[in-house]
Formats: sequence, structure tokens, C-alpha cells
Amino acid sequence: MPVLSMKGVTHLYNKGTPSQSKAIDNINLDIEEGELVGIIGHTGSGKSTLVQHFNGILKPESGKIFVDGTDIWSSKKATREARFKVGLCFQYPEYQLFEETVYKDISFGPKNMGLNEEEIQKRVLLAAKYVGLQQELLEKSPFDLSGGEKRRAAIAGVIAMQPKVLILDEPTAGLDPVGRDKILDMIKAYREKTGSTVLLVSHSMEDVAKIATKVLVMNDAHIEMYGTVDEVYSHSEKLREIGLNIPQVSKVFEILNKKGLNLGSAYTVEKAAELILSKGGAAV
Amino acid sequence: MIKDITIGQYFNGKSVLHRLDARMKIILTVVFIVSIFLCQNFWSLGLMVLFTLMTVIVSGVPFKMVLRSIKPIAIIVTFTSLINIFYVRGGTSLVDWRFIHITTNGVFTALFMATRIVCLVVISSMLTYTTTPTMLTDAIEKLLSPLKIFKIPVSTLAMMMTLALRFIPTLVDEIDRITNAQKARGANLDDGNFVQRIKALVPIIVPLFVSSIRRAVELADAMDCRCYTGGPGRTRMKQMKFHLRDFASLFVILVLIAGIVVLNYYFGAVLVK
Repeated sequence: MPVLSMKGVTHLYNKGTPSQSKAIDNINLDIEEGELVGIIGHTGSGKSTLVQHFNGILKPESGKIFVDGTDIWSSKKATREARFKVGLCFQYPEYQLFEETVYKDISFGPKNMGLNEEEIQKRVLLAAKYVGLQQELLEKSPFDLSGGEKRRAAIAGVIAMQPKVLILDEPTAGLDPVGRDKILDMIKAYREKTGSTVLLVSHSMEDVAKIATKVLVMNDAHIEMYGTVDEVYSHSEKLREIGLNIPQVSKVFEILNKKGLNLGSAYTVEKAAELILSKGGAAV
Repeated sequence: MIKDITIGQYFNGKSVLHRLDARMKIILTVVFIVSIFLCQNFWSLGLMVLFTLMTVIVSGVPFKMVLRSIKPIAIIVTFTSLINIFYVRGGTSLVDWRFIHITTNGVFTALFMATRIVCLVVISSMLTYTTTPTMLTDAIEKLLSPLKIFKIPVSTLAMMMTLALRFIPTLVDEIDRITNAQKARGANLDDGNFVQRIKALVPIIVPLFVSSIRRAVELADAMDCRCYTGGPGRTRMKQMKFHLRDFASLFVILVLIAGIVVLNYYFGAVLVK
């Protein structure tokens, strides 16, 4: 049974006004447990709208959403359960920090779940460890942290709820390359350790290629493609058509292949190096 | 709830009302509001209602949007009407039962008040629907400029007003975003008693303040970078000019007032002293 599922979901913005528009249109989607799905698409393609349906932040105009097989809009209780089962971390999550200390802020989610002090403490410390926040930072005011630390503290606030599914909307936006890699490594490690399903919204094909097991391409309120990284990235023509750029290294490989080097395809620098070392020598 | 805010909302259009000079529109609105209170009988009041309806039709703003601006004041209108009905004395007695006394004067005052408030709100919302916030503040600056003799920093005040209006939609978006982020962490904003609900707002208000202050600092820096100093000597890209249609609209309002005076005189006052 898929952990997340959508049946014919449509969402309208500005309903009933002249600027009414379909943000997502008749979406059918199943996401299996344990996957790390990269969701890509250009600005305005409906990625963020899509993920905000999974925990009931947005209510669809029509269609049904299932988390763990339960229709999340069937009852008030089901909606609230979906909030905790699906942890959603918004874009620029550092703007949601509000408590006096980082520790208190991370414990906001677990507290809302009605857990006891002991359990809360356990979860906060574990979440801080996952995102790589040092113990001494926990007693600081969140407003005294650096940009990257704030971002990780906010993500910890969602992880501390120990959701079955973690959704991150553009977690690397506005970070420098080091901060970016830190977050991506953290997501990868988190998934490997907990075995939970992760959805990563991004417009960077490079980021997605680095860590995703599956890729979902959104275009103009529809799902354009959904499959493994290799399947999706092999359609480079189609991707370019809808305004997405395949990773730089893949472009280089495409050109090399055209020149008759037959190296196969690579989407990350590491994979490329590996391929060149193993096949490259023979081909040249 | 937040989406009901209609202040500063602009409805894009090309009607005569949109093209009128903003200064003239402000003056006309004030004159109109004063003249609503001149009405003494149903004939002159009817004329005002008719004029209000005409304004809405001419502006091309859909009735639905106009209704939305009345919605928030429905409670005030109902409340004042009820008080008027039960407390105003005079005229013929309609109901006289134990402690309840209703008179014709009470009912008429209630009707007058309700109509006046609705007309007032509709006409002022027509002003904001047909005038962009920038045009509006420019016009206010121009109208207040005589105050400069008294050393009142009119242009600075106008700039503050422009900025305040400019940031209403931004803040509404921000509130939406923060609310959603906290909801995703299980914040419960809809249930609980009064105290619990107030407490539940803390996770929204604190980040809102923090980001507003950050925004203000950034904005001030951006204005500094473009050498904004405010004060005298600043010129406008778009100069405001009065056209024939502006004087024509003034004439229409004057005719309207004349009409009210004539109707008042001809039919007499409806309230009995």
C-alpha cells in the first residue's frame, strides 16, 4: 500500500475571482514507503501546491488524498493525524522560529502532539543530532544563529515530530554551496537512518540527482513524468522543452556520447568520474 | 478572514471614475459624505441612494466586490439601527408595551442611519477601488501641501502612507505563510477558549514582528542606496492635471446638493421635533 496517494486532486487559487487559476489539475499519484522523491519543475508549475495537500494545509477543490490509506479529509481527527504523520517544512523555514531558545522551538511540534517531557526531550536531542546542531546551540536564542543554522533548527522542528513522511520545500534555497551540501547530506543520512519516506521539492536538477531515488516532474499543473532518476533524466529533450536544465555533467556526457565515446549517462560528478575510470579507458 | 480586508484594494478598469483626477475624487467623496447628512426626508435620501448606485454602475466594479466591502460593517449597522429603534423618542407611538416603546422617529432614524452608513462605505470604497494607492497618496500629499507653511512634513507623511499601503498585501501573505508553517507543526488555532486562542497567536505574531522589522531595515537601506532624502525639491514622474471631466464631475455633485436642498425644502423633514 502506498504511503501517500492522490486521486484526481485539483486545486484552484483565487476561486470565484477573475484571477482564478488551476494550480494543480486532476493529479493521480502514489508514493511508496521509503522512497526519496525529488519533485522538480520550474516556478509556478505547482510543486509547492502539490506537497501542501499531503498534510492538509491546503484543501483540494476536488479529489481525495490518502495518507497510510486513510482519507485525510474524512474526519477532523484524520486531518490532525495527517499533520503529524506528514511533516512539512516550508520554503525559508527560518522565518517560523519564534521561541526564546532553540530547544523550545524544536519542541513546539512534539508539544502540540501532547507528548510527555521525557519523550519530548529525547526527540529534540535526536532531531538536533540529525541536522547537526551542537548541544550548546540549543540554549541560544534562535535569532542569534547564523542563516544556515537557523534553517537547520527549523528543519529539526519538523523532524522532532518523527513523521512517517518528511517533505522539504526548497530546503537549500538561498544557501551557499557548503550549506547546501550539508543539508543534502543531512537529508540523505536522515532517510538512511530512519527509513522514512522523504519528498524533496527543488528546482535544482543537480540536487535531486545527488540524493533522490525517484523523480517527479511537474509542468503546468500536471505531472509530466514520474520514475527513477535514470528514466527521467534520459528524456533530456523533453526536460529542456519544459524549461528544465539537466545537470552540467550530463550535458558533457551527452556531447561525448554523440562524438562516439559511448560512456553511458551520468547525473552526478561522482558517477561521471566512476564511469570515465571504468569505461573511459577502453573507449579511448 | 484576512481576505476580507478591502482597504487599499484596487480594481483595474478604464471607466470615467478611474480616469478622474485623484485629488478631485477625494474632494468629491468628502463633499458627498457631508451631503448624505443633509438629507432630511426619504426623497432626498432616495436621491443619494440612486446616485450611489449610479456611481457603482459607472465604475464597472462588480456588485459582488462592492458587497464585500459592506460585509464587515453589517454588525455596526444592525447594532446602531437597533439602538435607534428602541431609544429615539418622538413622533407617533407604534409599540407601547411595558418597557418597550417604539416610535416613528425611532424607526425613521434607524432607517436613515443604516442607509447613510452603507452609502458612505460604498462611496469611499469606490474611491479606493478606482484609484491606485500611489495615486491616492500623491493626491493626499497635494491636498495637504498648504500645511507646509506650518512646518508639517507633508511629503514624508505621504511617503509613510504609501509604504504602509504598499505593505498590506505583503504582510497578509506573510501571515498566511507563517500560519501554515505553524499549522504544519501542529499548532491548533481554531479550537480552545479565549485565553488559549490568544496564546496560540504567539507563534505567529513573534515571527511576523521579526520579519517586519527586518523588512523595514532592508527597505530603509534600499531607499538610502537610491539617495532618497525626502523633503522639498522632489518632483513627480506623473504630474497631476485637472481635465474637463474633473470639473464636470464637480458640477454633477453640486447639482446633486442643489437637488437635496430643493427636496428637503419641498417635502419637509420626516422627523418630528
